[in-house]
This record gives sequence, structure tokens and C-alpha cells, in this order.
Amino acid sequence: MTTTKIDRRNFLKVLGLGGAGAALAGCDMPSYATLEEGEEQVFSYLAPEEYVIPGIGVWYASTCLQCPAGCGVHGRVREGRALKLEGNPKTKLNAGKLCQMGQAALQTHYNPDRITKPRVNGKDATWPEALAAINEKGGGNIVWLTGAISGHQRVLLDIHLKATGGGKHYAVETVNTKAWEAASADIIGDAHPNLHIDKARAVLSFNADFLGTWMSPVKFMTDYGRFRAAPRGVLTVVEPAMSLSGANADHWVAARPGSETAVALGVAHVLASKYGVTTTGLSVSTTDTIATMDASRVAALSGVDGATLSKIARTLVANSPSLVIADGHYDTAAAAQVLNLMLGNLGSTLTPSADLGAPHLTNIGGTTQALTAFAEDANAGAIDIAFITGVNPMFTAPYGLNMMDALDKIGTKVAITMFEDETTTACDVVLPLASPLEDWGTHVPAFGAGAGQIHIQQPLMEKLHADALGFGDILLGLAQDGGADGLDDFEDYYGYLRTAISALIGSDQEAAWNAVLQAGQTTAPTLERAFTINGDVTINVADTTAHGLTLVTTARQGLYDGRHANLPWLQEAPDQISKAVWDSWAEIHPKTATKIGVKDGDYVSIQSKGGSITTRVFIYKGVHPGTIAVPMGRGHSHYGRYATDVGVNPLNILDVDIDPRTGEINTDTTPVKVKATGDNRYLVRLMDTDKQYGRKLAATIPASQFHRTEGGA
Amino acid sequence: MADKTHQTPKHLTGEQVKDIDENIAWAKINADVLRSMENPRRGYWVAMFISVTLFAIMIYAEIFQYMFGMGPAGLNTSHMWDLYISTFVFWIGMSHSGTLLSAILHIVHADWRKPIYRFAEAMTTFSLMTAGIFPIIHLGRVWNFYWVMPYMSDRGLWPNFRSPLIWDAFAISTYLTSSILFLYIGMIPDLAICRDNAQGWRKTLYSWLSLGWRGDDAQWRSFRVTYLLIACFLIPLAVSVHSIVSMDFAMSIMPGWHVTTFPPYFVAGALYSGCAAIITLFILLRYFFAFEHFMTFPILDKVCKLTFVIAMVWTYLNLVEFASVWYGHDIPSKEVLLAKANGPYSPFFWAMMFFGSVLPFFLLSKWIRRNMVVLFFVSVFLNVGMWLERWMIVTPTLSLGYHPQGFNVMWPGWVEWAIVGGSFGWFGMLFLIFVKVFPSVSMYEVKEMVFHRKRIVYEHVDEVMNMHAGVPGPEPRTTPTPQNTGGS
Amino acid sequence: MPSLLGNIFKGWTDYSKGNEEGGHHDYEHMYAMVIDLDLCTGCNACSTACYAENNLPVVGEDKFGARQAMHWMRIERYFDEPDVGESDTETQSRGASFLPMMCQHCNAAPCEPVCPVGATYHTLDGLNAQVYNRCIGSRYCANNCPFRVRYFNFYDTAESWPAPMEQQLNPDLSVRSKGVMEKCTMCIQRTRTGRDKAVREGRELQDGDIQTACQQTCPTSAILFGDLLDKNSAVSQIWKRQQIKLGTYKQDKDNPDLRGYRIFEELNVDSKVLYLERVREV
Repeated sequence: MTTTKIDRRNFLKVLGLGGAGAALAGCDMPSYATLEEGEEQVFSYLAPEEYVIPGIGVWYASTCLQCPAGCGVHGRVREGRALKLEGNPKTKLNAGKLCQMGQAALQTHYNPDRITKPRVNGKDATWPEALAAINEKGGGNIVWLTGAISGHQRVLLDIHLKATGGGKHYAVETVNTKAWEAASADIIGDAHPNLHIDKARAVLSFNADFLGTWMSPVKFMTDYGRFRAAPRGVLTVVEPAMSLSGANADHWVAARPGSETAVALGVAHVLASKYGVTTTGLSVSTTDTIATMDASRVAALSGVDGATLSKIARTLVANSPSLVIADGHYDTAAAAQVLNLMLGNLGSTLTPSADLGAPHLTNIGGTTQALTAFAEDANAGAIDIAFITGVNPMFTAPYGLNMMDALDKIGTKVAITMFEDETTTACDVVLPLASPLEDWGTHVPAFGAGAGQIHIQQPLMEKLHADALGFGDILLGLAQDGGADGLDDFEDYYGYLRTAISALIGSDQEAAWNAVLQAGQTTAPTLERAFTINGDVTINVADTTAHGLTLVTTARQGLYDGRHANLPWLQEAPDQISKAVWDSWAEIHPKTATKIGVKDGDYVSIQSKGGSITTRVFIYKGVHPGTIAVPMGRGHSHYGRYATDVGVNPLNILDVDIDPRTGEINTDTTPVKVKATGDNRYLVRLMDTDKQYGRKLAATIPASQFHRTEGGA
Repeated sequence: MADKTHQTPKHLTGEQVKDIDENIAWAKINADVLRSMENPRRGYWVAMFISVTLFAIMIYAEIFQYMFGMGPAGLNTSHMWDLYISTFVFWIGMSHSGTLLSAILHIVHADWRKPIYRFAEAMTTFSLMTAGIFPIIHLGRVWNFYWVMPYMSDRGLWPNFRSPLIWDAFAISTYLTSSILFLYIGMIPDLAICRDNAQGWRKTLYSWLSLGWRGDDAQWRSFRVTYLLIACFLIPLAVSVHSIVSMDFAMSIMPGWHVTTFPPYFVAGALYSGCAAIITLFILLRYFFAFEHFMTFPILDKVCKLTFVIAMVWTYLNLVEFASVWYGHDIPSKEVLLAKANGPYSPFFWAMMFFGSVLPFFLLSKWIRRNMVVLFFVSVFLNVGMWLERWMIVTPTLSLGYHPQGFNVMWPGWVEWAIVGGSFGWFGMLFLIFVKVFPSVSMYEVKEMVFHRKRIVYEHVDEVMNMHAGVPGPEPRTTPTPQNTGGS
Repeated sequence: MPSLLGNIFKGWTDYSKGNEEGGHHDYEHMYAMVIDLDLCTGCNACSTACYAENNLPVVGEDKFGARQAMHWMRIERYFDEPDVGESDTETQSRGASFLPMMCQHCNAAPCEPVCPVGATYHTLDGLNAQVYNRCIGSRYCANNCPFRVRYFNFYDTAESWPAPMEQQLNPDLSVRSKGVMEKCTMCIQRTRTGRDKAVREGRELQDGDIQTACQQTCPTSAILFGDLLDKNSAVSQIWKRQQIKLGTYKQDKDNPDLRGYRIFEELNVDSKVLYLERVREV
């Protein structure tokens, strides 16, 4: 452990220079006159760039950072203000499309609750004071706690850690693909295989909400459009509570939480026994396990009967090539890959990903295992300085991790953030971060962007708040002052990036740089790779025979893991399944509702070992009777005017139950006691009815009719 | 007939069978009516205070709505109209009272209308003035209400003549203008009487308003013709006004509104509520101004029977509407009908059915017709039933409709109730002012009625023909001379 | 006088001639949409994009619950499938049915004739336009819309944009004050801008030049927008393939399996959004 003194002078050089000289036309400090006051002040340019015509927007390419997928965006800028985001048509990842979280990135940027000045111990301060406060307690073990990070930000972060004593980088994401990655790496030798839904004739998903939050939803949705075109693909989804993918399934199967492994193996059993699908290449233990998973055993474990298993298997066999995806538990993902092996999907709907020639840029990928490790290390008093950004552990961690104590035990906590939230209010120093629309960066999507794609993030406009600094600028300053070598030539992150990209593309000409900015992306060299099949896999089937109610926390595209609860568009956007707005709910099956004795709008208290939450029920058939599903995202106690005291947070009351193969915190194994509280209030939602009352509104036809007219089997 | 002239008028003993006592002296008619316009007593001021308070509440609510928008009224995406429109239709309905009595009954020579048509006509005018508030108040941008009138705007824009709301604007303004004209012209001889008996500001007012009426033959002849012409003009206007108001609903495609029987149904409902209101005001005026000689029980009987008949017509048309939906194939309309009967608004629906179709039968009971207190409440509840009917036309349809997304039950907000209640205050204010400034019984027409009933023949025909109002004429003979009876 | 009569008769001829085949003889464009319900995943990106593009105010929980929200484009979600029968009594085994619903820009719009001041009318592009500064807020149009897609500004909305959020507002269109009706305009600001751009560049408008906000962001490309009068547009080709004609409510299809339909077609409103039926393995 070495001491780190952050030199104010060096750091302050970075201030205010972010983005200077860039191909940007921004106007001066915007006025804070408000609509409420009835004022409107228009600043016109003194010397605009030549391509700016007042009244006609200029489009700049950048990258969306609302979730780890990293889609390319085009931002429409008029008179120096970013007005609208659309997908970047040139990026292979999202092909010009954007999800609602991306659309709402404007509200992240223009949010009235942004932190505009550094804070020390809760009081406004200046940058020199903040940096001094970080230095105060000296050096020691310096760590970073972040979300998923890639590109040159990751490079600088690694450089900083190396220069300051080699502390750990904890990358945390509550919504992650760790189970799939771990199982894929083990079984097919590729943690991020390319998934070709558009080429598949059947997709079977175990708990992987690929249209909603899994991996790269916009990419999958663009592929899904082709998947459904003739010849039409068939989608089967197996999960305890209906996700967006489940809502679009031809065949949705409710399985007891955690029992998806059993169902997958049950399907494998039917494939092997009834359809003669071979299991060559698989280990003996796996083959044996499959043999034991007959219909009655699967039914006991999951509640899914034999007829359903046969139907799933039949669909896979009749519609080839198929694709099986899964997430949540290692075993489920492993079983899914086993099915892919059996069905011969490797090479057609799963293809090897290319190795990025610059591994230091790759996406580190977040996990909850890192959260657990961070909590353990902090509770043991091992962390002296923690830099925290892009993650809210107080909100997302189960109480069992003792996150509050953990943070208390850290010597100095530095939050680099745009917003005040539960974690940053516990931090000693808060540094105001520029929004993604005001900042530079590079990002390597973990999945789906095409071989070697590096997405560029550039500012769409001048910073709204003068004291906010870009992430890269802060990292550069910290690394420089930490004594890292080779960074002293760079005045700011823009300069660093420009040099790095120029080296990558082999040209430092202005035209080449502009071409990269215009495209919003560039390509790094890659190494082709092949699958290495390892059939020697052990799949453990959890004992999920029926017992009481289990809490499942679901993620929705919208509020995600809670980070977007402060965006009014997303709070007011009705949830895709329940159509509820501005509040939480607990999804239960009508049978469960009868058992507990509740009706629509009744409040229930949901109690686990870790704590309890009280919220209203939403009763429908899209949830397994043994499940009570509460979506994560609301329940902030501290997150600005739109999110504070809105809804409840189920993440905190999860048991700290760790998947032994991945280290991930399970989100579907917490047993709970549910009781009606006696209160009732109407759950506000978009529509009061689930039925069409005989009107031909959203009409459905059987697939056979589709095949007759539009083709396909 | 001649024998009964010296007997005590039977109305004081509750057994009158004649519409009016034909021996009432003309001077007494003048005196009674003019006395009603004297300085008011305490009861009047109490009533005025209540009316002004309600009106003030309405002003406050409207200012609130002007400043904050239509949201506090409780309106929403499904219920874009609610109490404002239903109360608007209610007041238009009430306005048919005067026209019915003064115009229609005039043409069929039902002279029992003569003592009561004046206040009915006044009620018409004030109902229209109250109704006219609502199409303005219910607008989101009230200050632009004048855009519905066809004027030469500098933008070259005219209103959309295809819209039933524009037809409303024309119909109501025409009807209001005609009613005011009719009321005023019909009052001219009376205003002359007032002028001759007034002092101070009243004398000046009546002198102006009576337009120099002398009551000579030429004037009376012109008067008769004018009055008849306006009456004939007003009758189709009244029918068309409420038919047009009904087309606000009938011309829409909403289930429950798109009904071809709405025009006659609304007109019947209007006549119904007008008659019921006549009964109410009849009882009040008779009591407070001691008009027992003019507003007699036989007349009340006739009004009640007329009300009953119209109630039955309304009931029939109501059942026709239900039947056509019930036997039809339009599912959304059937849903609306069943929702009215079973749904969240059903208590009001059944109250409407009771007050509208069952309560009129009470009017057939002579005991009730003689019991002023009970009859007062019966007539008030008949009108409550009619108000509920308008509400049940507007709101249940909007709570359902074609698209289930729009299914929504809504209850009116405080702003709506305040303005609706305030409209009664506004009406009350206008009417109370009217009864103190203008004669609420038509003196000259009552004299005509007495004259015709008595079948008096004057010897001094010339003198009589050239008489001025207020000047006592020659003593009437009480027995007819053989040569002048002309076949009795 | 003769010219007056002549004008009336000429106008009648034009009018009645125009009413045949959907009345689009004099239209410059006939913008329409196709929404494929089998592609729509219900993700709600279109609705949020519409909020961003069209300056829609966020009203908060209480007003949303009072049904005073302003979602021009809404995604409805149904659990019943009356056409293919009850899927399962225990579980929602065929997922949910999503229906993007916004103004259908009916050629025979019931909202147009009833506005007292003519604030809503049919443009020569075939769109149903709402003129905010002519609207006096009588709300008859909303009552007459069978789709319930008209939204009224029950309140002033300045508080929806606390500083600096008002900087995101799109200057191509207004922020509506209270008392004014509004609804989906098929991004008329983009339509006009796109057309002007083509004129400036001296070329014809092509399919894809104009994209509505919802269409542009829809990840599955479930929403298509285009000009029915342009034979080459995707939209007109799909309408033709689905054998749906404007100007009639009884479509004469020679293939009953075609999955194109219009909602509430029997009301004869001649809507211009063609929906393609959702498909499920049954």
C-alpha cells in the first residue's frame, strides 16, 4: 500500500477543459430561468460552427450508458441543447433502434436533482477542498467500486489502481449474465457466444429476459423482428414470473423459482428418451442426471407436468435450428448449454465470439459476487479509500451483507456521481459527475456489437453544470496524481482518448478522427476463436419441492435495478406487464390470493429473514402459485424528488444465498411469509381491464393461419 | 250563473270549481298584483341571501377553474363532459315551461293559462340565461368563447357549422332573444298599469319600458297580432332548440347517445320539467304573494294533469329508448343500458325512474293536489328526477364506450357541484328580482279572462271601447239585456 | 347568382367524387401506419420516445390515477384472446397481447365534424390535425372518439419541467396550455420538415425520409409509417397485400386468412392504422 496524494494543481488542470477544441458547437451557460417563472431566455451563438443552421438540428453520435449493453445513439442537438436520442443506424448492435431507457437518458442529463458541486461531509465545497478531504486520511488500500466498465475508462482505472498499490476493482451489477457466462465458459469455452435469434426457428429461454433486460435487449429485439418474420420462429419461456420475454412467448411455462434446471433437464430427458436426441460428448454424470429427470420428478420439483415438457421438446425438435438460453443459476445455464449441445445448435444459432485484440479494453462485466466481496472486505476493515461510481450498494445489497456497517468501516468513501442516493449520502466526499451526454468515453459492448467494435461516446453539448467533471477526466487526474507513468502529456481525457484512438486506427489526421466521431464507433483487431466443447459438466439439481411462498425479485426494462427511478418518464411509463405506474406491487397467482385472502389493491406485508416490505398485490395468472414476485427498482429512500419514498425495495430483504458455482446472490430462493395488512388502495395503472370485452382490439390468429398466408412450415 | 255573484268565493273554503271567480273587480286585480311588488318582507331577503350566496360560491369556483384548469372539476380522459353539460340541458329543459304555457296554450285558447303564464315566461327567460352560462363555463379556454359566433374575424375563420355545438349557439341565442322579446312585449300593457301606479325610479323605469302605451283600440289590435305572431314563431323554436340540444348527443357515435328518439325525448323531458317547475313556482308565488284569487286550485289541477300527461309521454319515450337498445344488436349500447341499471350509477338511475315515472301518479290524487306542502315537494322531486335523467344520459355513456381503455367511473369534483348549485342561485336571484320589479301575474290577461268568463255585455259599448287602462269604466250590468245576449 | 349556384354544384361534384375510394383524389399524401402485433413486444420504447419528441408532460401518480395523463401513444396489454379461445385457466400460457394505440387519423374522423370552432380537421396529407391555438376546449371531439385517444390539458404543465428539464423541450412544436385538446399528430413536425427538406433538395419524398418518433425507435420495427399514395412505400404495399381499402368498412378479401385489420372498422371511421394480427402457436 502506497500513499496517494492527489495533487490539487494537476487535478484542477483537468477542470473546465473537458471537451475543449472538440467538434462541438455549444452555447454559453444556459440560463436557469424556468417555465414556472414564465421566463424564456434565448442565447444565440456568437460564432457557431458552419454546419449549424439555427432551427435545424445537428446529429452527433454517441453511446448510451443507461444499461451495460452500450447501444450506439444519435443525439439531436439544436442551439446547443440535446433534444432527442435515437439509435445510431450504423452500429451493428442496435441498428438505429433504442429502448425506453435510452430515450429517457435525456432526463438523466437534465435532471433537476443533479449534484452540481462537490460535497464534503454533506456540505457544499470546492474541488480543492474535496480533493484535500480525500487526501486527509492518507493512503492505504485504495479500491474502486463500479458498475460494468469497458474501454479506456477501464484502462485508466486499472492504471490508477496499479499505481496506488494494486487495490481491487469491484465491478457490481445486480442485473447481470454471470451464470450464463460462467456456464458457457465452462462448457463451450466461450463466455460470450454470439446468439443468433434471427436465425433460430425456436428459442427456449429459462429465466433469461432477453427482450427486456438480459444482456443486450435492443439487439435481441431487432433480431426478434426477423425471428418472427416468415418462417416464423416459436418462443418458449420458462420462469417463475412473467417477464417481457415471457409476455411474448408462444408458450409460457410457470416454474417454481429455482426449478428451471429441473425443467431443462426434464426437456433433455424427453429429447433423449422420446426423440432419440443423442447425448454424445456429455459426461456420464450429466447423462445419468438427465436420465433421472423423468416427468414425475420434474413435476415434483417445479410444478411443470409431463405434457408441457413433451410440448417443449416437440417444439425444439420440429423447429430447427433452435436456441436455448438461460440465466439466474449456474446449473440452469449449464443445462441450457447441454441442450444446445444435444440439439446441435452450436455453430448455427450459437457462434464463437471474436477475441478483442486489446483485452484491457474489454468489458469487465458486473456481478453481485463482487458486491459480496466488497462487503466482506469492507466489514473486515480492509478498505481505506473507496471510490464509488455507477453503483448503489446500499440500495441493491441484501441487509444480510451489512452494507451500512461495511461503509462505516471504510476510511474515506468518495462518490463520483450525478445524483444523491442512499450510498452517496453515506459517503464522505462527493464529486459531481458529468452526465453521459456531456462526456467522452469509449465502450466495448460485452455482447453483440460485432467483432471488435468499440463504441465512442462524445458530448452532445456543453456541460450543464460547470463544476461537474467527466469520468475520464477524473480518472486521468487521479491516475496522474497517483504517480502513473506516461500520462503526464495529457491535459485532459479528450486528449488521451484522441491519442489512443489515433493509435488504434493508425492515423492522427483530423479527418480520420472526425470519421470515427461521425460513425460513433471504430473497430479494433480481433482474433477468431472456436468453441472448445467440454462435456464433462456437473449439474446439480436444487431441491425445489413445494414449500411456502418464495420471493422473486424481477428486473424490468425501465427502472432496471433502480438506477432510473429518478426519471419521471420512466416512473410514468406503465410497467409492461402490470401497467402500474409510480408504485411497486407484488405479483401473485389467483390461487395464492385466495389462500392469503386478498383482492386487487390490498396491501400485504412480505417478510423474509432479512426484513419486510409492504406493498399492494397484483393478481394474475402470469406467475407461479408458489411465487410472490416484486419488481426491483422502486423503494428509494434518497434519490431525488421523483424516486424518494415511491414504492418498496425487495432487494434489501433478499436472503444472502450464494450460488456456489458463480458466487452470485440468488434472487429467487428467499422464502417469505405474506400476510394481508387490511389496507386497500387502488393501484394506479394505465388500464383497469385485462379483457377486450368482445371487441376486436388485439386479435390473435393461430400460427397455422400465418403459415398458410405468409409462408413457413 | 247570475245567482252566485254574491256568494262567498268557494276557494276560501277549498271547494272552488271555477278557474277564476268572474266577479273579481279589475281594480282588485291591479291592487293585488301591484301589492306583490311592494317592499319585500323578511322571507324575501332570506331567499335572496341564499341565492346570492350560491351565486358567489359559483363565482369563486369558476375563478378557481379559470386559474387552475378543468382538472379540479373531476373531469378526465373518459369523462370529458359531466355535470356542466347535464345541468345545461336541464336548464334548457326548464325553459320550455314558459313557451308551453304562453305560446302553445295561447294558440289553443286555453285561457286558464292567463294568471300563470307570466312567471312561467319569466322562468323561461331566466332558465335560458342560466343555461347559457354552462356552454361558456365548460370550455377549457373560456376567454375565447366568442369564437363560436359567426363574425368577420381578421383570420377569415368561421365556426364549424357542422358541429351541433354551433347549432346550440344559434338556437339558444335565438330562443333567448325571442323569449325576452316575447316576455317584454307581452308585459307592455302591464307595464303601463305599473307606470300609472308608480312613483320615483319605478315610474321612470316603467315609463321607458311601456313605450307610451295608451291602451287604445289601434294599439290593442296591433298588440294582438304581434303577440300571436311571436307565439307562433316561438313554438317551433322551442321544439327545435331542445331537439338541437339533444343532437349534441344524438349526432355523436357514442353508445347510449346515438339514439334517434333523442329529439322528441328531450323535448318531452323539457316540457315535463318545465311543467313541474311551474307547479313549484305556482305554489310559492301563491303562498308568498297571496295570489289565491288568480292562481286557483282548478288551474293548479289543470297544470298537474298536464304535467302528468307529459310525464307519461316522457315515460313512453324513455321505455322506447330502452326497448330499442334491448332488442338491438349493438353490444356497447346494451352495456351502457345495463350499467345504468346495475352499475355504479344505478342508484341515481333508479331514483330517476321513480321520480320521473312513478311520482307523477301522485299528481292524480286530489288530496295531494290540495296539500300545498306535499305538492311542493312532489314537484321539486319531479325536477330532481329530470336533473338526474340528464346526468344519467351524459355520464354512464362516458364511463363505458367502445374501447375498454376508456372504462372509468368518475364522480364530480367540488368545482362542478359548486357551479351547478350556484346556477340555481343565479336563477333564484334573477327570478326574485323579477317578481319585485315586474308584475308576476299578467294583469290585463287576467282581466280578459274574467271578462270572457263573465260574458258581460256593456250598454255603453263606445265608451268601453275607448277606455284607458286604469280609468274606471261604466258600471257593468249584472243581468244581460235580452237583445244583447246573442243566444246564451 | 349563377356563379354561386355553379360553385355549389361544382363543389358538390368534387366532394362526392372525392368520397369514393376514401376520398383521396385531391390529397397530396395519405399518411398511414401498419402495426404488426406479432412483432410488438410491448417494451414501451415508442411511448417514451413520443413523450420526448412531443413535449408531453408527466402528471404524477394522483393525476394519472384520476385518468388525466397525457400518453398520446399507449401500449395496452390484454390477457384474453377471444379469437383463439381461453389458453389455460391456471396459467397465462400464451403470454400477453400488446396493442399500441394512438390517434388513428381516420379519414372519416368522428372528431372532426363536431368541433364547434373547427380546431380539428383533415389535412391534405391525410392526417387529422389539432390546431392548438384555435381549440377552445369544448371537448366534444374527445367524446366522439371511439378509440379514446384524445387527451385534454386539464392543468397547466409548467411544473412537469423543473429547471433544467425545460431545455429538453422540442422547439419544433409548442407546449400546450391548459384548456387545449391534443393527441398524436403522427409527428407532423417531422412530416413537414421532411417534406420541406425534400423540396429544398429538389427531389421527391421517398419512403423512409420521414419517420415518426415511435417508428424510429421501435426495436422490432413493428411500427411502419408511410404514404399510401406512394406505390413504392412499405405501408402501401402491405395495405395492398392485406387487401384493406380506404373508404369502406366492408373489406372484400379473397383470402380470409389475411391478418390485416382495422380496429372499430364497423363504425365506418375509416382509420388509417392497419394492425396485423398477433400470431400464436395454438
